[in-house]
Amino acid sequence: MKPNLAIQAFLGLYILIFFLYLFGPLVIMSVTAFNSAEFPAITPWECFSFRWFNEGKIAYDGQRLAGLVTDRPLHEGIISSLIIAAGVVTLSVPIGMAAAIVLTQVNSRLRTLFYSMSIMPVLFPGVIIGISTVVLWDRIATLGGDGFISELGRNGIFLTILGQTCFISTYCFLIFVARLQRFDTTQEEAALDLGASQSQVFLKILVPYLMPAIGSSAVIAFLASFENYNTTVFSILSEQTLTTVIASKVRLGISPAISALALVIICLTLIGAFFYEISRRSNQRKKDRENKVKMFSEVSENRLVEERPKFFRIPKSIFVFLLLLILAVLTWQQLIKNNMYGAECVEKAEASKKSNFADQLKLLQQNAESVETTDESEGNASRSNEYNDIFGDQNLFKDFGGFDSDKNEESENGATRSNEYNDIFGDPNLFKNFGGFDNKE
Amino acid sequence: MNSFYRKNGPVIATFFLVAIIFWLIFLIVIPQLYMLDLSFRPNLPPLLRGGPDDVYTLTHYKHFLYGSETSKDAYNYVDIGVFLDTIITAVLVTVINLCFCYPIAFYIAKLATPNTARLLVLALVIPFWINELLRSFAIRILFAGEGVINNILLELGLITTAVNFIALDIALYTGLTYAYILLMIFPLYNALESLDTNQLEAAKDLGSSTLRTHWRIVIPHAKAGIASGCTMVFMLTAGALATPVVLSSPNTYWFTQLIYQWFNMNDNWSRGSAYSIILLVVSVTFVLLMMRLFKVTIGEVVR
Amino acid sequence: MSAEVELQNVSIAFGNFYAAKNVNVKIGAGEFFSFLGPSGCGKTTLLRAVSGFLEPSQGKVLIDGQDMSGIGPNKRPTSLIFQNLALFPLMSVADNIAFSLEVRGHDKKSRRKRADELLDLVALNGQGDKKVHELSGGQKQRVAIARALAVEPKVLLLDEPLSALDLKLRQKMRTELRAIQQRVGITFIYITHDQGEALTMSDRVGVMNDGELEQVGTCYDVYEAPCTPFVATFVGENNAFFGKVEKVESGKVKVQTGGSSFIGQAGLGLDNKNYKFKAGDEVIMFVRPEAISLKGNSKKAQNSFSAEVKTIEFEGNLKNIFLRSAEDVDIRFSVPSSSDTSGMEPSKNVSLSFSQDNAVVLPTGALALD
Repeated sequence: MKPNLAIQAFLGLYILIFFLYLFGPLVIMSVTAFNSAEFPAITPWECFSFRWFNEGKIAYDGQRLAGLVTDRPLHEGIISSLIIAAGVVTLSVPIGMAAAIVLTQVNSRLRTLFYSMSIMPVLFPGVIIGISTVVLWDRIATLGGDGFISELGRNGIFLTILGQTCFISTYCFLIFVARLQRFDTTQEEAALDLGASQSQVFLKILVPYLMPAIGSSAVIAFLASFENYNTTVFSILSEQTLTTVIASKVRLGISPAISALALVIICLTLIGAFFYEISRRSNQRKKDRENKVKMFSEVSENRLVEERPKFFRIPKSIFVFLLLLILAVLTWQQLIKNNMYGAECVEKAEASKKSNFADQLKLLQQNAESVETTDESEGNASRSNEYNDIFGDQNLFKDFGGFDSDKNEESENGATRSNEYNDIFGDPNLFKNFGGFDNKE
Repeated sequence: MNSFYRKNGPVIATFFLVAIIFWLIFLIVIPQLYMLDLSFRPNLPPLLRGGPDDVYTLTHYKHFLYGSETSKDAYNYVDIGVFLDTIITAVLVTVINLCFCYPIAFYIAKLATPNTARLLVLALVIPFWINELLRSFAIRILFAGEGVINNILLELGLITTAVNFIALDIALYTGLTYAYILLMIFPLYNALESLDTNQLEAAKDLGSSTLRTHWRIVIPHAKAGIASGCTMVFMLTAGALATPVVLSSPNTYWFTQLIYQWFNMNDNWSRGSAYSIILLVVSVTFVLLMMRLFKVTIGEVVR
Repeated sequence: MSAEVELQNVSIAFGNFYAAKNVNVKIGAGEFFSFLGPSGCGKTTLLRAVSGFLEPSQGKVLIDGQDMSGIGPNKRPTSLIFQNLALFPLMSVADNIAFSLEVRGHDKKSRRKRADELLDLVALNGQGDKKVHELSGGQKQRVAIARALAVEPKVLLLDEPLSALDLKLRQKMRTELRAIQQRVGITFIYITHDQGEALTMSDRVGVMNDGELEQVGTCYDVYEAPCTPFVATFVGENNAFFGKVEKVESGKVKVQTGGSSFIGQAGLGLDNKNYKFKAGDEVIMFVRPEAISLKGNSKKAQNSFSAEVKTIEFEGNLKNIFLRSAEDVDIRFSVPSSSDTSGMEPSKNVSLSFSQDNAVVLPTGALALD
């Protein structure tokens, strides 16, 4: 079916928008990781820096914002996430495999029941799986007394492994079911007929056949476990995993360190995808070669000629790469030109913020003298809350409302709010400076 | 059972049985049943469990409907409101997702060349290897008061003051749509891919317009895939926690956040369980009703 | 080493459906025996009972006089060649062939040696390291045979192994299979719906229909002296004249069919005795297409009738002529392609005849659906 030109153009545009929607947020988030400002944003651009990947910063007001390298809770979270993921993989892959194999053996009435039960966990909200695991094991732990069972029942990592295994096994199960649908069961019979025992049939015929499914379900199980939040947040109890650390970070304060972390994960994903694609292509080539050999024996030669000029082909991806490179160089030049890179810039920005902060402090003190004491304490409280409880304080949210609205508030409500605003977004001058970025060009 | 053992041999058969019983009984059935049981019991400290006070009661469900005994309202408007809000939003998100994904899925399945299709599929998958929390975080940056969208709109002169997308819940809806888009695309894609292209050509040949072809041929064929995608997206959206945690405005709650509160902040596990059961029962019933309405079976839905 | 296989009263039921019913047959050691029947007649089920994948609901399978009940397929001295061959796609050709030795714990070197020997036997020398999917259909066939022979089974069971091949290759493989059977000297039990295969390769044939074994005999017997209408119509082509016995006279039966009456031989029953008919019995008279000729060509012809030509079909070595007799019976007869059929245009009436000796009279019963 070939659609006409108008439809094609529309479709192209649609796809563009769709992928913009998919990737836009991620790209912007990645860029904010390099902005030295405390709030993840592209504008106002403070300085280009790697601080959020390294040491983070200790703000002039004593606020400590950790970077990736210095963030201990994050590292611990990653380690427990890895432990959990390993546990989930070792449990859910065999479970999924066993269930899928047995599904092929039971009669049709039992099969429907069995299948429905097996896919139920996917449809259950993850929250509920987490809760049910915790309440059950808490009960078991209480009944179990002081011994090992009670330890186990209150071990967040153990509970998380169980909770996640509950639904991740279903993912594995579905992967195995799909693979087994294409399995020729006469192979098993042939092996049996040739004298293999049932275990030998399983190990020498079925397992090798299922190997690709074992691999992919292990990867899926690992990723699903690593990413999971909804179940984990309940079942992890007092421990922390990567996702709960991220969640508490997002909850406590929006910091570009999270962007930096996201960028690292994105890069790992891209590298993974890249290698996956490479290996897939080389497999494809191998298959093509084999097919060609077969074709030579079956097809007359005049059909096989046209493959020669391959030598001259330049892969299209190179152009994309070059374009990206040029863009990167141009951006870099702009950064240098505007003196928005490096320690010097960061220092300057910090200094200006510090003096700003001092000014504001002074202003605050002046205000405090004129305004009632309750107001002052409120102002202070909101400051200390600023990073700690962005979600808690409803008013604070309005502060993110924007630059202009804040200015309005400043005139009405006194300085406190706009001060906070400035703390977060940095020097207003810097914003202008960035605005000039385009004009100079 | 005997033939099962004979078919698989004793070692393997035992392994199968242990694995399946462990999973189905210990991981799926018993926890849910225990949670159901707990939801009908008063909130007691662990030591009093099993004691004389541990009797069956409907308090938690009553609380959901009528609010606490001290409240003056006839019904628990807050919780019921949050619940209805969650369900309705989940439905909306599902419908938007379906409309949004259908053209893409159709394009990848039927119009694109195999190579393009493969690349697009890969491109679809990549964002979803990144944590849901982080994706929501990206949306949050985008929609922040000083974020990219506000800046662009201001620059263009479309608005004069920045819009608070988060307080308006626009960020939340966008984030929820974004979060599970893949789970809509893939079932659709699988269903559409199995459609014989000849059918499309035949329809065209018989003079059917593009829209009519879709309405009469493609959509009926993809019904199971559509149902599957919608079920997944609806269930996951209704049960979402990560995205609302990052994106909901402080005065909007998602129902799972309520559950979370009862559970972790107020330490009332029984009530948390009861609310979980409500969410589970209502959303499963809703899905089953929809499946009855559109005449698809559960086996077709999850494949 | 070869072994005798005996099925005693074997019935196999799935629920209330009988896939095989009261099958009794004794297959001699070293014999090439074929079960011939249409698809769904239960022959594959029977084979699975012999190889051990199924236990008969009633009756016994004996191999070399030993009762096989309770003995699994991996413990029986039989090897099965599957319809789809069931080669292991992830293993090399040599590994496939030596699989049965691998599971018995033979070391790598002896396995390879045996694989090479067997590759020689099936004329595939030097192909051991190839992958299965690199082979052509005929080569795969040979690998399957070699694999089945690797453990030196006493009985080789073959489940329509040639059905996936094209005609030429099939014919070649028939000859080869027969040659291999004679070389290794073991019992072959072959299953097919293709009477050509059964007749060319086998020592004896068992014709099956609806789960029952209708007739067992040499190829010649089955073709020339069918015991039942089903066998008469399933094996080769046959013209069927339905009618009533008019009278019986010294082994000859006179049958009244439509307007005319023909004389034929009473057929042989399963007990190897001629059927006893009496006047008024409902019978069918079978005449092979090649036994019919144009009137006047044969002196012996004693039955004659006239019919209208419908169509003429050219089939290489033969011409098939389809007619309808005055009594509305469809007749088919065949002449060599070289013979003159100039007088036989469609809608012309011709006179035909056949000899009494070539007409077999059997009691009524089910016919093969073509």
